[in-house]
Amino acid sequence: MNAVPGAGASRRAVLALLFPIMLVNLIGFIVPMLNLGLLSFKEALTGGGIGEKFTLANWVTLVTDDFNRELLLNSVGVSLAITVAALVLSYPIALYIQRAEGLWRSILIVLVISPLLTSAVVRTYGWVVILSDQGGLPSLLNAIGLTAPRMIFNTTGVIVGLTEILMPYMIVSLLAGFGRLDPRLEEAAATLGASPIQSFWRVVFPLTLPGVALGCLLVFVLSVSSFITPKLLGGGRVFLLATEIYDQAIVTLNWPLAATLSILVLVLFGLVLVVYGRAVAALD
Amino acid sequence: MSLDAIGSVGGSHAPGEAGYLSIEALSKHHGAARSVDSLSLSIEKGELVALLGPSGCGKTTTLRMIAGLTPATSGRILVAGNEVTAVPTHKRDMGLVFQSYALFPHLTIAQNVAFGLEMRRLPRVEIRTRVAAALEMVHLSGREDRKPSQLSGGQQQRVALARALVIKPSILLLDEPLSNLDAKLRDEMRNEIRDIQTRLGITAVFVTHDQVEALAMCDKVAVMEAGRLSQVGTPEDVYERPANPFVASFVGRINRVAVEGRGNNAVAFQDQLFRTEHSVIGPATMMVRPHRVAIGTDDGARSGTANSLRGHVVRVTYVGDLLQYDVDIGGTSFMVEAATRGIAAAFRVRDAVRLEWQPADTLVFGAAP
Ligand SMILES: Nc1ncnc2c1ncn2[C@@H]1O[C@H](COP(=O)(O)OP(=O)(O)OP(=O)(O)O)[C@@H](O)[C@H]1O
Ligand SMILES: [Mg+2]
Repeated sequence: MNAVPGAGASRRAVLALLFPIMLVNLIGFIVPMLNLGLLSFKEALTGGGIGEKFTLANWVTLVTDDFNRELLLNSVGVSLAITVAALVLSYPIALYIQRAEGLWRSILIVLVISPLLTSAVVRTYGWVVILSDQGGLPSLLNAIGLTAPRMIFNTTGVIVGLTEILMPYMIVSLLAGFGRLDPRLEEAAATLGASPIQSFWRVVFPLTLPGVALGCLLVFVLSVSSFITPKLLGGGRVFLLATEIYDQAIVTLNWPLAATLSILVLVLFGLVLVVYGRAVAALD
Repeated sequence: MSLDAIGSVGGSHAPGEAGYLSIEALSKHHGAARSVDSLSLSIEKGELVALLGPSGCGKTTTLRMIAGLTPATSGRILVAGNEVTAVPTHKRDMGLVFQSYALFPHLTIAQNVAFGLEMRRLPRVEIRTRVAAALEMVHLSGREDRKPSQLSGGQQQRVALARALVIKPSILLLDEPLSNLDAKLRDEMRNEIRDIQTRLGITAVFVTHDQVEALAMCDKVAVMEAGRLSQVGTPEDVYERPANPFVASFVGRINRVAVEGRGNNAVAFQDQLFRTEHSVIGPATMMVRPHRVAIGTDDGARSGTANSLRGHVVRVTYVGDLLQYDVDIGGTSFMVEAATRGIAAAFRVRDAVRLEWQPADTLVFGAAP
């Protein structure tokens, strides 16, 4: 008798069940990505044409051109800022929802998810109304005698808008990762002499790290790849990878450079996934 | 009630006699339900008190209120004369072994046990030696670096015990700390707990379902029923002089027969009089412990002072050190226990037998004359 009866058959069943999604991924993701990879080694002709010859020029500009390097650093920096802001703002909310019970908990979860039912474009325009120079927030600040800093068409606007738009993802990820949190554990810490603050840092926070890692991964990736919000709130003055890819592909019609930048983003995500994998493994 | 003068039932403490840990009219209401209802209990320094009662009677709730984890609806808790009702848990210096263990899943066994010592900011060296000693005591040396999820239920329970004992709290609350251990380990842990508790003069409350455990290791036994305290007393008090039929039937097995009180230390059952040390009038309950009843052949002879009943055996159960007979006495079942002497049971099913027991072993509960 086999150690695992029918192991071969079950592996075949697994492959059969995975086949449809593998096919979809192959056609919808792998092939276009290979295509993009190929495109990034082609020459860009003026007027949107694509040359026949292979060239390393696109990749060389990526490294040598200060602007491209700034794009990468800007994108990573702004996305990190958004991730941290979303985490800090979402964590208490998620912790509160985790501790809520019954109907109240369900209501809170629906409230958190409901913004996702509205398009990011609409929500971004909401922020334009609030942040623009004659908008709600600056007027309010001016009214109480403060000079409002400029909050729109700059990095601040992008960070504020994207943080709010991505917070639901962060909260839901945190809640998904809070599984091991048990109120008894905090009680146990208290009986052992831990103050609420000690109990938070020694017991609660470590147990929520899986959720923190998941939320940060998701929000970072989503903020690097979002371009509608940065475009509207950045007013063309904030240069990020996603907006630049859009400009190169749609406005300048330099498809090879757009392809190169896209591959760069893919590599960045690969690195982030490696970091995430390491972090999760270390947590276990 | 015939036994009203027995035991220090809750609330009957004389003024000025308050113990080290003193609970006054403590109540916890969950809406209309009263999980704990006006419970008063006074425990001397260094005393080990068992809290005994059926499932759901409010034992855990009581411990949680003492530890400050559940706010009391009303009542006061005093430690050494100072009210602590409003003091937060982490400032109470009380150790608690949770019924559900509540080990920290992200910490190793050693880190779990060290937690309380680190909170007390003890030097590292001392923490290490005390953790090692505590783990040694619960037979878990060599498993320091495992995570709780890698231990069996009983091993986790012992970690929970070590974690609470290692901090040497002034008050120790144990919520069924041995429920998951085998008989031998249970005995050993009982002795360890008792040993540490007496050596350090820890005042302890020990919740258990196991009446043998309660009687064997505790200075006092408090029996709870539906959120209220039924009786508090020494193990002997609650076993030999239970305050009511509930305590009598909860602490050990006991026969229960409905009788008619006739006053003058006598009750009637099936037109037969039984002698007792209590006088009651009207409908009453007679209770006799199965092992205080002697079983013999029905040869007509009977000794002078003993109460006696005739019947026939309906079931014999062999439980190792005991033989349990169920005897039918005119429609009512009566339990008798006899120590086993050799393999064979002395009586078989359908044998006619005579049961005898002393008036002193005849508990009677009913209205006083
Ligand atoms: N949060 C709560 N809300 C409502 N009722 C509760 C709550 N907590 C406990 N109870 C009720 O209070 C009563 C006492 O519960 P408790 O946990 O103290 O029982 P226990 O004596 O420890 O039982 P066990 O021996 O089974 O552990 C139970 O009837 C329980 O249903
Ligand atoms: Mg309980």
